[in-house]
Amino acid sequence: MRAAGLVTWILRAYVCLALLFVFAPIITSFIYSFDASRYAAFPWGGFSTQWYGEALADPAVASSFRNTVIVALLSASLATAIGFAAAYTDYRYKFFGKNAYLALALLPPTIPAIILGLAMLVFLSRVSLSGGLHSIIISHVVYAIPFAMALVRLRLSQMPADLEAVAWNLGAGQWLTLRSVILPFTLPAILAALFLTMAVSFDEYAIAWFVSGFSETLPVHILILLQREVSPKVNVIGSVAFIISMTLIVVAQIILFARAPAKTRGRSFKTGS
Amino acid sequence: MTEPLLALDRVTKLYGDQIAVHPLDLQIEAGEFIAIMGPSGCGKTTTLRMIAGLEKPSGGEIRLRGARINDKAPWDRDTPLVWQSLALFPFLSVVKNVEFGLKARGVEAKERHKRSMKWLERMGIAQYHSRPVDALSGGERQRVALARALVTEPEILLLDEPLSALDAYLVVRMQAELKELQRQLGITFCYVTHSQSEAFAMADRVVIMSQGRIQQVGRPREIYRAPANRFVASFIGANNMITGCVRDVGDNKAAIETPFGVFQVNRSPGQTVRAGDAVTLVISADRLSIGQDDVSGPNCLRGTVIGEEFVGAVMTLHIDLGADTVFRLQLQQHALEQLDIAQGQQVVIGWKPEHAVLLPES
Amino acid sequence: MAQHAQYSDKESVPPASRGKASRQEASRVFALAMALPMAVWQCVFFVAALAFLAVMAFWSVQNFRVVPDFTFANWVKMFSAGYFQQTYLRTFGYGAMAAAISSVLAFPCAYGIAFKLPRQAQRLVVACLIIPYFTSYLVRTFAWKILLTDNGVINAVLGWVGLGPFSMMSNLFAVMIGYLTLIFPIVILLQYFSLANIDRRLIEAAHNLRCGAFSTVFRVVIPSAKIGLILAATFAFILSFGDFVSPSFLGNNKPPTLSILMVDAVKSGSQWPRAAVVALSMIATLVAVAFLAMSTAYSREGRR
Repeated sequence: MRAAGLVTWILRAYVCLALLFVFAPIITSFIYSFDASRYAAFPWGGFSTQWYGEALADPAVASSFRNTVIVALLSASLATAIGFAAAYTDYRYKFFGKNAYLALALLPPTIPAIILGLAMLVFLSRVSLSGGLHSIIISHVVYAIPFAMALVRLRLSQMPADLEAVAWNLGAGQWLTLRSVILPFTLPAILAALFLTMAVSFDEYAIAWFVSGFSETLPVHILILLQREVSPKVNVIGSVAFIISMTLIVVAQIILFARAPAKTRGRSFKTGS
Repeated sequence: MTEPLLALDRVTKLYGDQIAVHPLDLQIEAGEFIAIMGPSGCGKTTTLRMIAGLEKPSGGEIRLRGARINDKAPWDRDTPLVWQSLALFPFLSVVKNVEFGLKARGVEAKERHKRSMKWLERMGIAQYHSRPVDALSGGERQRVALARALVTEPEILLLDEPLSALDAYLVVRMQAELKELQRQLGITFCYVTHSQSEAFAMADRVVIMSQGRIQQVGRPREIYRAPANRFVASFIGANNMITGCVRDVGDNKAAIETPFGVFQVNRSPGQTVRAGDAVTLVISADRLSIGQDDVSGPNCLRGTVIGEEFVGAVMTLHIDLGADTVFRLQLQQHALEQLDIAQGQQVVIGWKPEHAVLLPES
Repeated sequence: MAQHAQYSDKESVPPASRGKASRQEASRVFALAMALPMAVWQCVFFVAALAFLAVMAFWSVQNFRVVPDFTFANWVKMFSAGYFQQTYLRTFGYGAMAAAISSVLAFPCAYGIAFKLPRQAQRLVVACLIIPYFTSYLVRTFAWKILLTDNGVINAVLGWVGLGPFSMMSNLFAVMIGYLTLIFPIVILLQYFSLANIDRRLIEAAHNLRCGAFSTVFRVVIPSAKIGLILAATFAFILSFGDFVSPSFLGNNKPPTLSILMVDAVKSGSQWPRAAVVALSMIATLVAVAFLAMSTAYSREGRR
């Protein structure tokens, strides 16, 4: 055995070990969601779907899940729309103060969510907008715009330089061009942005915890469960949420790849990965 | 004098302090095929884009039928462009691409489809109407681009090097088709290219540009036979040049002294030169005659054959005259066979006084 | 007239121009409609919120109510308090430690992915490293609790080989595991992207110069990927410095970090101004660290 070959195998084994570390909690949570014992001890207390039953029957879980979906859908739509317009602005125009404009767009995720949550709480309660789903939506849009904008901007930079000018040249005004050229071309990125921002909103707990008042979302519900007790419901909720997220991502990939050959062949679009 | 279809009146374009187009005057008549030709960066595409409204002129005026259009938005002009990249909409089918201009003008869906199909038929690609554009070959995409630009039946069609992406054999075919199309439609084609063969094969008039300035405007034959300056003479190729100075000036003749000897040349009417002026002699490669030890006429030169190029029935010989000067000489294949000339051989070349063009040194 | 285009059968095509409404005006409306929504939203809700947080740090609390004021009392109180100073240093230390540990542990992994795996496998591993960010960090933290407790899975496995039990919960080890859960995948990814961009010829050249494998890593690979490595470590610091979940649930709130202080000030008392002071000092720290890191990353040879 040559030393170089040995190093290769050691490094590969190390990569596997790193992946094991990353996936250990996800797998653990999945396994223990079927554990009959309440106290998640080792060894297993036997297979049971009892906690699934309890979690799904829990009205608090149901209402927080509903809240999460509402918040995710609305904030993702708003963030994607606003992010799209901002990405187009960056693509199309040069103007004084553009760097400040871009900083404004991209800064929020660099502030720790917990601080953003505090700032939002302090500010929104001052202008009487705190304590409801709308407060979470407002904050999540602030937080998610950069993700949507980055994805759409990436797609725009792949657009053939003349495509927009072609539409103008053929007599289409700016609005019609936006609708009939820019939108179809960036559609994969827009869908990807919708999914990504939805996922961001779906998992966000810190800001939501501060501003939501009594309208808990699912992550806030988990946070509160974690503070109170050891509840196997957390594993159940986590596993179900994981499966939903993964399904959404896989479906999104299938949609994008199914579109790709017919529409923009050979230029498959990278969805954030 | 009636106003031409399109008039450019001292039109300029600056990018920062870079001058892309110097004040430029050009009249384009209705129904003519005009080619704007020049090396890359000469300002030809910029000029075309200013006509289409995609670039705003920094100065001067562009008039369509006498009306100033400088401030008209690109979508408010009827100046469709066929793009170098073709720039078909990748997310639309062939027929939807063609329909685009009609849709922008609010033509109703059924009508749109009917008219687009008619153009696709005319271009001979109606059978592909529902395909995605990238399922077509280069030549077919070219036709889609043409149909898309013509479907709104404009008075003028702008073309920006539309054949540059095609294979050589297709280029020649498309040239013929474009010329025929322009003749049938009777509309103005304004064609930008860097290719002499494209411009000369199709255009009624050719505009030669360099470094943001028009160098010469004229019929292909005029430009070929009487280049206006050294740039044009060298750009259109197949011209040989020697510099020298005027020794004697006769009635309509002049004698030019060069490092290779004294040559007789006919002056073109109205051209004034004086003895002592620095000038350039331009002799077209196909105007040279060649012999093994002598050619008739007053102008002859000795040289060595150092190379030959074979293009179909025409041969180009490279003849070294010494002093770093190589002349190119074109003649028919069969004429060369009769002469029996080989590489490395000493030859004599000559030309008639009326076949040389005299350019004052600028 | 001959002037008109002789199309085979000329159809009526409406002219392109619709209306004479000033084009400049229409273009401006369009541009503003594109540019403004983001600017307005982020100014009204983001900039205003942060600005108000800064203002709030100078307000005072009277009878459990926050009242407008202009006082440095909150700052003086916080900065002179021993527990704040200690917590600040501790939090900074935690962040630095997490950045160092994750960078060191991630590097062989990123190196292995970039240089020792075929393309297809590289893509798969990258996808696997993105997946965790679509799962709940809270749930993963909770799962670590299951794994790390005294009679949890890890201690049970160690017990079979006669080790332990170790106390792995509610201590620094647990907090670091929590931080790594948050930052490890992204640090590997950022390092991987910078390593994958290194020109392979550079490494071959080093080998040709008889540079051994290890010294190639230190003399060629690490300097070439410097910017990416620093960026990854900076990300690790920023994320751990601001994290609340790991020190709270795996560290059991003891000893506290700045984020725990901040949450306590808000949730169990209405000390919003003091929370604002904590938040602002955190932001200032993060900005300073990010600035320092970036100027180090781009220092000397100004190449990317």
